[in-house]
Amino acid sequence: MSAGRVVVKVGDLKIAGAGATLVTVGVGSCVAIALYDREARLGGLAHVLLPDPSNGRENAPPGRFASTAVAGLLRLMEEEGARRARMFARLAGGASMFESLLSDGGRTLGMRNVSAARAALERVSVQVTGEDVGGSHGRSIYFHLDDGRLVVSSVLFPDVVL
Amino acid sequence: MIDVRELGSLQLDGLREVANIGAGHAATALSQLTHRRILLDVPQIRITRLEEAAELVGPGDEVIAAVLVRVLGDATGRTVLILPRDTAVRLTEILLGRTGVTFPESFGELERSALTEAGNILVGAHLSALSDFLGLILLNSVPGLAIDLAAAILTSSYLNFGERADYVFCLDTLFRVDEGEHPLRGHLLLIPDGGSLEVILRAIRLG
Repeated sequence: MSAGRVVVKVGDLKIAGAGATLVTVGVGSCVAIALYDREARLGGLAHVLLPDPSNGRENAPPGRFASTAVAGLLRLMEEEGARRARMFARLAGGASMFESLLSDGGRTLGMRNVSAARAALERVSVQVTGEDVGGSHGRSIYFHLDDGRLVVSSVLFPDVVL
Repeated sequence: MIDVRELGSLQLDGLREVANIGAGHAATALSQLTHRRILLDVPQIRITRLEEAAELVGPGDEVIAAVLVRVLGDATGRTVLILPRDTAVRLTEILLGRTGVTFPESFGELERSALTEAGNILVGAHLSALSDFLGLILLNSVPGLAIDLAAAILTSSYLNFGERADYVFCLDTLFRVDEGEHPLRGHLLLIPDGGSLEVILRAIRLG
């Protein structure tokens, strides 16, 4: 694991420890899932694109989907000594960019991503303690692993600390 | 549905020509709006992993303006006008006939409206040229403007409209607005839905 700034690309997931900041930029309808174990000072961040793998797509990278990313983060963190019982989660993203053009009436992909992330976390009994989701603006996430502070920044909105 | 990675060279050439015709008409419209000369690059076909769409036309962490229009009719998809910061500012200034436009902060309703309308005109010219050339009915939705990080905008330009394929496709035409020493760059993207790529290829008898 590395110290300093660790960038998580779209569709990827990474973990890091004290001294590091996990960063992911430009979360639109995607959702960022952050897990933290305060005692181990270990955290993980995923930038997922879609809720669940569709039929026959099990070979896709785990960071692409909310359901598989949660399992992937858990596994990596537990291997490094984090404990599930101590973990909590925060979510950011799930926006609807170009909202005025999405007149389908159904739930937006952004909110389906958020729901899938919540459901995946509930299945592994990890509590969600903070969310900054929805709206129609993109977000960037700065997750400081020294103290677990998670800062959400947006182009035209003030920072949100979760 | 076509796997975009398996398109042949003849098909790719044909699609580039389609993009060129559409972008040519859009450039004429932009030239008339701005009274400037517009230079067009040869259109590029971009086929990338879904994950890499975020950096399709440049760094994902840059703030850009994008006008997106849905394409409806015989073929469906989106066309997106991508304007980097400098282009968005200068284009708005030209359209409003004043200087001192700030972006993205304090980019107000009037500025947003000017840029959206310019995007609408460009994309309209683009689609009507394509419609004539392809012999297909192509209609545009109302335009939507987003000012945000490129990664958020580009990823959503696929995902929000139902795209889930491993590899995504777009026709990308880079244009430059002749503005003295510092030409302004922008991109016009045509993103056909998976099934519509076949419709376009059939229309140019390469399907």
